[in-house]
Amino acid sequence: MHLLFLSLPARAASSHDGRSIYRHQCAKCHGIRGEGVKGKYDGSLHGDWSVEKLTRYIAKNMPEDAPGRCTGPDAESVAGFIHDDFYSREARARNHPARVELSRLTNRQYLHTIADLLRSFSDSDPALNRDRGLRGDYSNRIAGPEGKKQQFDRVDKQIEFDFDALSAFAPTSTNTTRVTNEFNINWRGSVLAEETGEYQFTVRTPNGARLWVNDEETPLIDAGVASGSDTEHQGALKLLGGRAYPIRLEYYKAPKDKQANVSLRWTTPRSTEMTVPSQQLSPVKVHPSFVVHAAFPPDDSSVGYERGVSVSKAWDDATTQGAVSVANHVVSQLDRFAQSKPKDSNRVERVAAFCETFVARAWRHSLSSEEKKRYVGDLLKAPVPIEDGVRRVILLSLKSARFLYPNLRDDLRDGFTIASRLSFGLWDSLPDRELSALAEAGVPTEDKIRDQARRMLKDPRAHSKMRSFLHHWLHMDSVEEVPKDAALYPGFTPETVADLRASLDFFLDDVVWSEASDYRRLLLEDDLWVNERLARFYGVEIKGAGDFVKVDADPKQRSGVLTHPYLLSAFSYPKASSPIHRGVFLTRNIIGRALKPPPMAVAFKDADFLPGMTMREKVAELTRPQACQTCHSVINPLGFSLENFDAVGRFRTKDGDRLIDAISSYTTDDGKVVEFKGARDVAEFAVGSTAAQEAFVEQLFHQIAKQPMAAYGDRTRESLRETFVKSEFNIQKLVVDIATLTALRGEEKRTVSKSKPLRR
Amino acid sequence: MNTLHRRQFLKALGLSSATLPFIVGLPSLGLAAPARPRQRLVILFSPNGTIPSNFWPDDIGKDFKLKEILSPLEPFKDRMLTLQGVSNKVRGDGDSHMRGMSCLLTGIELFPGNIQGGSDTPSGWASGISIDQELRNFFQSREETRTRFGSLEFGVGVTDRADPWTRMSYAGPNKPIAPVSDPYQMYEKLYGQMKDKANLSSVLEGVREDLKKVRKLISPEDRRMLEEHETLVRQMERDLAQSGKNPLRLAPPTLELGVADQNDNVPRLSRMQIDLLVNSFINDMARVATLQYTKSVGMARMKWLDITDGHHALSHEPDKSDDAVAKLTKINRWFAGELRYLVEKLANTPEPGGEGKMLDHTLIVWTNELGKGNSHTLDNIPFVLLGGGFGFQMGRSMRFDKVAHNRLHLALAHAVGHRIETFGKPTLCDGGPLKLG
Repeated sequence: MHLLFLSLPARAASSHDGRSIYRHQCAKCHGIRGEGVKGKYDGSLHGDWSVEKLTRYIAKNMPEDAPGRCTGPDAESVAGFIHDDFYSREARARNHPARVELSRLTNRQYLHTIADLLRSFSDSDPALNRDRGLRGDYSNRIAGPEGKKQQFDRVDKQIEFDFDALSAFAPTSTNTTRVTNEFNINWRGSVLAEETGEYQFTVRTPNGARLWVNDEETPLIDAGVASGSDTEHQGALKLLGGRAYPIRLEYYKAPKDKQANVSLRWTTPRSTEMTVPSQQLSPVKVHPSFVVHAAFPPDDSSVGYERGVSVSKAWDDATTQGAVSVANHVVSQLDRFAQSKPKDSNRVERVAAFCETFVARAWRHSLSSEEKKRYVGDLLKAPVPIEDGVRRVILLSLKSARFLYPNLRDDLRDGFTIASRLSFGLWDSLPDRELSALAEAGVPTEDKIRDQARRMLKDPRAHSKMRSFLHHWLHMDSVEEVPKDAALYPGFTPETVADLRASLDFFLDDVVWSEASDYRRLLLEDDLWVNERLARFYGVEIKGAGDFVKVDADPKQRSGVLTHPYLLSAFSYPKASSPIHRGVFLTRNIIGRALKPPPMAVAFKDADFLPGMTMREKVAELTRPQACQTCHSVINPLGFSLENFDAVGRFRTKDGDRLIDAISSYTTDDGKVVEFKGARDVAEFAVGSTAAQEAFVEQLFHQIAKQPMAAYGDRTRESLRETFVKSEFNIQKLVVDIATLTALRGEEKRTVSKSKPLRR
Repeated sequence: MNTLHRRQFLKALGLSSATLPFIVGLPSLGLAAPARPRQRLVILFSPNGTIPSNFWPDDIGKDFKLKEILSPLEPFKDRMLTLQGVSNKVRGDGDSHMRGMSCLLTGIELFPGNIQGGSDTPSGWASGISIDQELRNFFQSREETRTRFGSLEFGVGVTDRADPWTRMSYAGPNKPIAPVSDPYQMYEKLYGQMKDKANLSSVLEGVREDLKKVRKLISPEDRRMLEEHETLVRQMERDLAQSGKNPLRLAPPTLELGVADQNDNVPRLSRMQIDLLVNSFINDMARVATLQYTKSVGMARMKWLDITDGHHALSHEPDKSDDAVAKLTKINRWFAGELRYLVEKLANTPEPGGEGKMLDHTLIVWTNELGKGNSHTLDNIPFVLLGGGFGFQMGRSMRFDKVAHNRLHLALAHAVGHRIETFGKPTLCDGGPLKLG
């Protein structure tokens, strides 16, 4: 703030010249305020170059039709003028002051809010421990050698058994009991969905089987009857990401069945069909969650995070379908929700009390007696069966703006408003009982809010939201398939890709949820999480089989997420590495620099290059034109630093017959030249870069608040970053800081602000 | 995953219906008079064979007397066709009950499988489509006979278990269709969306008023989104009003509340299901229906007839057990009484937008998985046809010499204009459709 203030008068003199030079030489293509001119230079002039870098660029390249006409002090004053007038982030913030906007629930918020709202009426779930797999109860129906019915249980990592080859009744090598003719196995536990979407489950067996998922009554797959050659049974349902769902698989081998085998497979929104991996299964059983099936149109994410800034017919329709399905679900189990019995004399009162609680929770504040009458009592008094009365209460409450817009009453500085901001910030969902109780007691102190934030951070919903942020940050949410040439990379299967994602998630969880929660470790750590399959593929040695374990990789080779094979593979071509994809990712997400879309579309065609060229040489050749270099002078050096990794993220020293050259010179935004010898140098640069730290803080902020950071005060970015650095880069503490700040809407933190007041 | 792949994936999941907008997803209830007279088929099933001596008329032709079991149907004798000598000749895996049930409407073998009956080899599901579904598909394939559901599968007291003894309708090989035994569930299926619409309509004004109220509380920059939202709510109100302009021909029946799906409630459940069935026909929601009482080997204890033994156990008693014969006669007569309730309703209801009564356009086939319970024979399956509209010459007692029941199914298909050469197992179709005209 001070620096900026001091520098303003100094520049004022020269920027007068700058303004007139700009008008004469630049405005015909760039527009009077840098907005662009159609047919000349369409894009608007804004970015993150320093005045120095702008000066150099202008001196060398501008005006485009006559480079060299604007150099020396002229170039400097033009650069200073555009930088301060409209180009820089500060200038833009001044020209378009950010504000906290009214927003509706995002789709993620809607789905999780509904699920949590309904779940709030039943017992809470046990916490999932680190155990993975499903508990299997084995029993045979015919007496074994000891003349007794045999029974035992054990945890199976995944369900993929051929009992002809492997005795179901030999869990240990000392037990040599043969497979008996008739037996059944009942596997139960939970299945963890990583992301929201349609999941197709497949049970493959020539025997009898039934599968229940997120529904303890009706099986998703009923294949109790084995019939003909139909040995593959499928069923599909929608699941919300970041949640666990009850699952049960009943398997039955009949006496005359000639074969005995079973596997539980799935197709997720991201992957092709595969055996459900052990890391997605837990022997701990949870309650079902209610999932709204309606198809919501995608949220606006043009500014880099999902926001609910518009309504449409499709959206309105989806909310209607959602409300109707909730109403019918509640009515189908009304006595459970109302804690009543059909013949209770006070059933109507209990149902009314339930309805009042439902509406209060849905609207995230307590109801006045007038509201109770208007939104519950009057509707239940209508001359229709009480079930229809309940349906109407639910329809009205869930179609109401009070449900659909989480910051509708942002003007109210009461406990409920603050609690709601906090829970949507940390969970994308409504406050739980403890938080609501605090809200009820009035406006909490900042310390109390901070305590709540710390408590709420331990909840699976916070972990789920953190994961969705990390996936967004690392572009894992936009990666679909990672296809590789089977001849060049044999063994790199869809299962490998799923394992790699899991490996990265294990790594992220390990770092983020450790006590230090150190952001720097995300970039610098040399750990790699592998299971047996990955260990084999990446040539790592591990002891034991099955589970993911952490192994130390060569720190000269691996450096945190930068060199995680999932990202390296995802940012590669099917047959070769892609320094451009990797470089863009590093530029935007790790180093935190802005890039504009390419001025022209250039496809990489391997056939266009001479045989024997390295990928580095090909990319350098392809991006040689001046129009490309604006961005590729930044992108390429970063991408080249990862050339020691092939298209599946294995370390290499050669590209074809040629030795890898991963050394590159990178020019920072303030014009310094840094030499990178490889991934670790880039990571170390990022860790020490203020811009990179700010970019990380800002992205996290946006995921939590879903509002522009600048709306919370000019100093917010800088002060959050400073606290972050002081806390030894503790991510959890940063989340608590952001959640607290946004819950209080930044007011307590804001000291000097020139921006307009926030909403109201 | 590319876009096409994703779409195919969603389609494969059968989830595309979830993406239909709320209003468009509602039933279209256009009830214009049909260009051709409607034809409807009901298949009514009761289990465990009959008592032949108290079932089959002694005389052949138009002049015949109804015996004890069929006596409740006396008023409709001239609308009736009894078909003695029709056999289920399908052999292969599965015991007689399983084949009796799962080959009854399919006329084709069961797949080998893991379900072990009281005798014979274990089996799986039927390897072909059933005749009710064949006709349903035929009706649904043509604009003029297409209805919202095509077919409805009602059950009464069917146990909640899926196996070859409990399923007679098949959408195709290995595709058994579960009958809906709970009338409230069937009600939801038929009228749930209407109810949703009505409830929704009743609250939308409140939603809009509320929006107006909160709009005043927020800053002008943010009001635009709420105004758009309000417009959408108003549009939904209009859409609902518009879609409500095609009311049902007949309001949904008022169901008695709280009737649990339990043995002792079977008589009440039966009437509720028949009321729903006739109502769905009046509103032209389907042209084909099945009504399945319990299941093959059904163990209903008909306490309302003062019979405490399970039906299937009784059916195993020898012919010389007078008590068992009397009870089984009573049980089968009770089923005939339920059939009469259905027939009467159809006979008393004018055909919607058409000529005559509904019974003139509806053929009911009453059948069973066995000819006789204690012998487990698949010969002489008790087939009784009732009603009209299929061009059969009714009011007769007919006797055949062990003809395959596939030929009866062919006759049903041909009568609605679906001229298939064979149905079920082709070699059992020799001789073509039974001549019933």
